[in-house]
Amino acid sequence: MKKFLALMLMSMTPATLVSTICVSTICVAQSNQTTSTDPTTSAADPSPAERSIAEAQRTIGEKPEQYTGYNLLATALIRRARETSEARYYAEAGDAIKKSLQLAPNNFDTNKIQVSILLGEHEFPAALDAAQALNKQSVDDVMVYGLLTVAYSELGDYKDAETAAQWMLNLRPGNLPALINAARLRELFGEIDGSYELLQMAYDSTPPTENEQRAWLLTQMGHLRVAPGNTDAAEKLLQQALTAFPSYPVSVGELAEVRIAQKRYEEAVVLLRQRYQATSRTANLFDLAKALRLAGHEGQAKQAFAEFETKALLESNKKDNSNRELIFYYADYAKQPAKALKIAEQEYAWRKDVYTLDAYAWALHVNGQDVEAGKQIETALKVGIRDARLFRHAGEIALKSGDSVAAQNYLRQSAELKTADSEQARVELASLLGGRSR
Amino acid sequence: MKKLKLLVGLATALFMLAPCSLFASSHREAPITALDRSADVTDWYAFVSYQNPNNVTFILNVDPLLEPSNGPNYFPFDNSVQYEMFVDNNQDGIPDIAFFFRFNTEIRQPDLFTGFVGNLAGVPPITSLSGTGSEGLSLRQTYTVTMVNLHTGKSTLLNDGKTLFAVPSNVGPKTMPDYQSLFNQGIYNLGNGICVFAGTVDDPFFIDLGAFFDSVNFPSTVGPILSPTIDADNTHNYAPDAVAGFNVNSIVLEVPIAMLTVDGKIHPATDKQAVIGTYGATARHHITVRNSPNPDGSSGAFQQVNREGNSLINEAVIGTGFKDRFSEDFPANDSQFANFFLNPVAAAVLHSLGVPVPPNPRTDLLILAQYEPPICPGCGPQDAGPVADLLRLNTGIPPTPVGSQLRLGFIAGDNAGYPNGRRPIDDVFDISLRAIEGILVDSTKFGLPLGDGVNTKTEGFNNAFPYVMPANSGRNSVHIGPGQTGCTGQPGGICPE
Repeated sequence: MKKFLALMLMSMTPATLVSTICVSTICVAQSNQTTSTDPTTSAADPSPAERSIAEAQRTIGEKPEQYTGYNLLATALIRRARETSEARYYAEAGDAIKKSLQLAPNNFDTNKIQVSILLGEHEFPAALDAAQALNKQSVDDVMVYGLLTVAYSELGDYKDAETAAQWMLNLRPGNLPALINAARLRELFGEIDGSYELLQMAYDSTPPTENEQRAWLLTQMGHLRVAPGNTDAAEKLLQQALTAFPSYPVSVGELAEVRIAQKRYEEAVVLLRQRYQATSRTANLFDLAKALRLAGHEGQAKQAFAEFETKALLESNKKDNSNRELIFYYADYAKQPAKALKIAEQEYAWRKDVYTLDAYAWALHVNGQDVEAGKQIETALKVGIRDARLFRHAGEIALKSGDSVAAQNYLRQSAELKTADSEQARVELASLLGGRSR
Repeated sequence: MKKLKLLVGLATALFMLAPCSLFASSHREAPITALDRSADVTDWYAFVSYQNPNNVTFILNVDPLLEPSNGPNYFPFDNSVQYEMFVDNNQDGIPDIAFFFRFNTEIRQPDLFTGFVGNLAGVPPITSLSGTGSEGLSLRQTYTVTMVNLHTGKSTLLNDGKTLFAVPSNVGPKTMPDYQSLFNQGIYNLGNGICVFAGTVDDPFFIDLGAFFDSVNFPSTVGPILSPTIDADNTHNYAPDAVAGFNVNSIVLEVPIAMLTVDGKIHPATDKQAVIGTYGATARHHITVRNSPNPDGSSGAFQQVNREGNSLINEAVIGTGFKDRFSEDFPANDSQFANFFLNPVAAAVLHSLGVPVPPNPRTDLLILAQYEPPICPGCGPQDAGPVADLLRLNTGIPPTPVGSQLRLGFIAGDNAGYPNGRRPIDDVFDISLRAIEGILVDSTKFGLPLGDGVNTKTEGFNNAFPYVMPANSGRNSVHIGPGQTGCTGQPGGICPE
């Protein structure tokens, strides 16, 4: 979800505007921010965000007394966070915004950027409060509706998220942030083709110079093609994305998903290792560990899981955490159901999006609380999402609750999709049907 | 009730017209428009054709600040956008006639790395928009023009049976050795006095954008108060034209006046029926979060994305948080933005710079938002219509001959110039500054010669249809900035720092 969140944030902050303005000769300042560890850039070829950062720093150097340079810097840093999947850029963006607010307190645009940073840091309740305040201040600001859409969505209030996204579409049909937000909601509502269509529209209206943004959109389009089993189309889109923006972590990660769906686990491991080395996000380590296990590297997998647990626990009390992965780790791999439920309750206390509901339901299930687990997973599925893992979980919870009809139904829906969870669901469905026939 | 309506209208009009200073041409005014380049209306022009006084020419420019070298696909029009021109011919602020433009893109050589190639790898230079010589046009666009009578709903395809090609950007001399020829091929006579052109062209707008956006930081030897010499100069620049060397996508339509007026006749300037209100707009299909049964990009009603009547209204008058609302709403509903006009910010800015301005309310500016003399000398109070951001044009006022046109248009006595319509030559930035300053109230008291010192278009003007200049070359174009050559009014042509 982080990857989707990141673009939605980007698409509704002035960063896109900045980058759009900075096309070709208008803005060709060379960045001095390139680091050798970043996979997305080289010294000779700064990324769009790096160019924007350099430009913003130049602006600040020339006019340090003006807040606008700091706002440009903050938005560029938010963009850099997406390019690299490195959360530290949000902190740097926050520093820039503090400076901006010192120079121009309560500036509306600055406040919007600040909400973007809160969202990037997963401080969704605070972001929602701040976005609602901005919405009262200016009722027709499309960007604010975008901030609201993301906050509502991440907290699991899909009704209000839909209302806010529709406002965006009404106020400016076809605007890029609205398309991306609506595409995300359509995916959550189970309208995969509709989601794809909006992403295609967003892609078509993204300037060719916006390589990273185009790569992101291609990656999401590829993502939508994986679950239905169209891995060839997914791979083509992802290769296009990686051509547009080489070594892009989100594209690398999605390509690994394709490899897993194709049961090419060794290649998935290579890709996920590449992504983890590039970004070192804790959640990425969990994906790597799972792939290592699928590839039969039990020892390495065990080591990776252990490292993941350590890191995930360190960030567990922060809002930007890997708690959902940690829940599944305790539930499915470490076989420590009590720990899974403890983390799940902690997460459930502040957000109720479909993925958190799924994780909470699964934690309840592995602790034998299947009635409550059933309620939670049903709530998640009522949103409309078509996700193989959620269907499989719902099937297994239903089965444990003694409702084999519902179990078959859910497992069949999972099996019809084409992910690693589908594979597992197929096995369980066959077992269920076989058992019944016996 | 009538009194209340008048007051609201008055207040709105003031704001509609007043602070025309803060952004010049509409190059990225609204937050979301800035994220939807292809639907971003940069400028709207309407004028009685210089070549044919019985015709009116409309120019709708979209997609701002196109860098000519920005390949590989350059700047196609957006297939999913409907480009629109509207005409109100009965003073009610509601459009009566519309012209719609839709584009279709074909990729003729999908494996080609760029949209355009010529004189390379066996591909001949691009010398034609179709047939022999067009092989290198991998990305090619055609378009349709539809006229709609909005009262009857009658729709007429004006290019019926004729394929119209959009003129691509000027990639460079190797690929397109005779770009002027391609440009000329894009001019179509549709019969019945109608001509049309669509393509990438030199952006005709001119302004010292950098100085203005730097908190009104004009070169001290130039602005914002111009010397009599600079002020009187219609043909030289004294400050850098920041738009020089950039392109824009342009749709140009010339139609007989008789197709536009309420009774299908040409009227003298003194007749209110000679006056039309116009605006350009873009629209996209309405989309709902919940998917409809039909594809979004090609179904459903169109919804307006952006519009422009008078230059600078959305950019300079409307508050940032309301620009998108303004963009998607219709001119006839503009009274809702009245609060933005009650205390024009731009006038206050001018005042802070030591420029005398009249006190609020600024009734002098009403002329631009309603049908009134002197643009509509035949209009009485009952003909004013609602406050609406329309570019009004008195079709009975003959065009000023080329060579006699004045950059300051109507306020300098050139009655065929802005705000009686708008021609490419009109220096709307300077005109707007002076309107805000209060020149319409008292030209002696509030008549300082304000301006940016950019008095003309660096690339010049095209005085014949399509009244825009061919696109700047991607291979050879240059831009103009402080310390660089390009200011022909300055010693050595060097622009001041």
